[in-house]
Amino acid sequence: MMNTFQYDFSELDVDGERIGRLLGYGEGYQADDFSGLIRELVGNVAPVCSAKAEYRIYPVEEWKNAGKSVTIHGIDFSLKNVVFAQVRKAESFALFICTAGPEPEKLCRKAMEDGDPLASYIYDMIGSEIAERASRLVLLEVRKAAEISGLRVTNRYSPGYCGWDVSEQHKLFELMPGNSCGVSLNASALMNPEKSVSGLIGIGADVNFDPYPCSSCRRTDCLYRMTQERNNVT
Amino acid sequence: MNDILARIALCVESGKTDKASPYPPGMKGQDGADEITKLAIEEGLGPARILDEALIPAMAAVGERFSRKEIYVPQMLMAAKAMNSSMKHLKPFFQSGETKRKGKFIIGTVSGDLHDIGKNLVAMMIEGGGWEIIDLGVDVSADKFLRAIEGNPGAFVGLSALLTTTMENMKKTVAVLKEKHPGIRILVGGAPVTREYCDKIGADFYSPDPQGAVNYLKQFAV
Repeated sequence: MMNTFQYDFSELDVDGERIGRLLGYGEGYQADDFSGLIRELVGNVAPVCSAKAEYRIYPVEEWKNAGKSVTIHGIDFSLKNVVFAQVRKAESFALFICTAGPEPEKLCRKAMEDGDPLASYIYDMIGSEIAERASRLVLLEVRKAAEISGLRVTNRYSPGYCGWDVSEQHKLFELMPGNSCGVSLNASALMNPEKSVSGLIGIGADVNFDPYPCSSCRRTDCLYRMTQERNNVT
Repeated sequence: MNDILARIALCVESGKTDKASPYPPGMKGQDGADEITKLAIEEGLGPARILDEALIPAMAAVGERFSRKEIYVPQMLMAAKAMNSSMKHLKPFFQSGETKRKGKFIIGTVSGDLHDIGKNLVAMMIEGGGWEIIDLGVDVSADKFLRAIEGNPGAFVGLSALLTTTMENMKKTVAVLKEKHPGIRILVGGAPVTREYCDKIGADFYSPDPQGAVNYLKQFAV
């Protein structure tokens, strides 16, 4: 079953203060010289943002403990240790794709061409955050639907993180043909638009959402951990 | 230091691009690196002095402050922008050969990785160190690096990766480049990269911040 969503910018909770925190400024950063610029650039993105998301539910066909993999719709996903351990009790999966759309990266590229690397950087950050917030909203939608059936959900996991190879994104896209988000994948498993997120969410009676997913992993140099700590979101 | 050179250095360190720029608020309405560099050249200060006595030390100071976490990426980017507004006046002298760069530096984010912020920052800081930058962009294959090396003999190479999963492509790229060009010096960086990983894959230098790369390259400047 295909579930599609289109988000208004206001639903994403992306504002100047949030982007400021992501840029490294702590509480009270509003006094900083860049707060006006950040607000202005967020304001430029807001009216053109076309954030979209979609998820599809697939039942688990087979778990393979030895290879730390799961078979979904005839495709083996090699999840590796961390993701496998977190989703092992799932009965089905919500595979999802969400995107900030092409607009933030267009603004980002234009700013760089115009010789404004700071604006380009901030647009890049805004685009990333839109995609991240959209993926969080997808998780909430999947959770809401699961709870109606008395089920629970895991965290969302994406190829490229927690040791799950980024090339596995090709398999994920195979199960999302003609996705309504208009996101495509190149040979290097990079998404277009760039500011997009794909992944899976485990669903089942015995799965758990881990509010501290990084506690089960020893890597301290992982971008996901850094983002979680910086962003303080789950 | 000459007063004009000191003013250029101050503009770069402060991120004051030109008179129209509202940043930093404390310098609003004042001339920026653009106008003052133009004045410096009109007054006969050679481009080599502007580069060596104003831009390079100013960017080094910015890099050191960033390394000490006294400033964030936005301030660093504003400094780089101010440097570029000064550098545009020097480029004709580089092109004519009147002023020499310190060397050539080829940089790119490895295959499978689209992240370019860190790579851009390093490129800007190394350019601020007086080097010519050949930026290959993101998702760069080993073949593309090889072609750039062949077109720019003697160049140094910088590889960036942001994902733990694309570090493997960094390893493959280093292996390919070292096999074809054993003497080439390769610098690596990116959030998940460490000094141990650099040693393990046979790269020559790792730095957790851009200034480390600038400092490393100084010993090879021509």
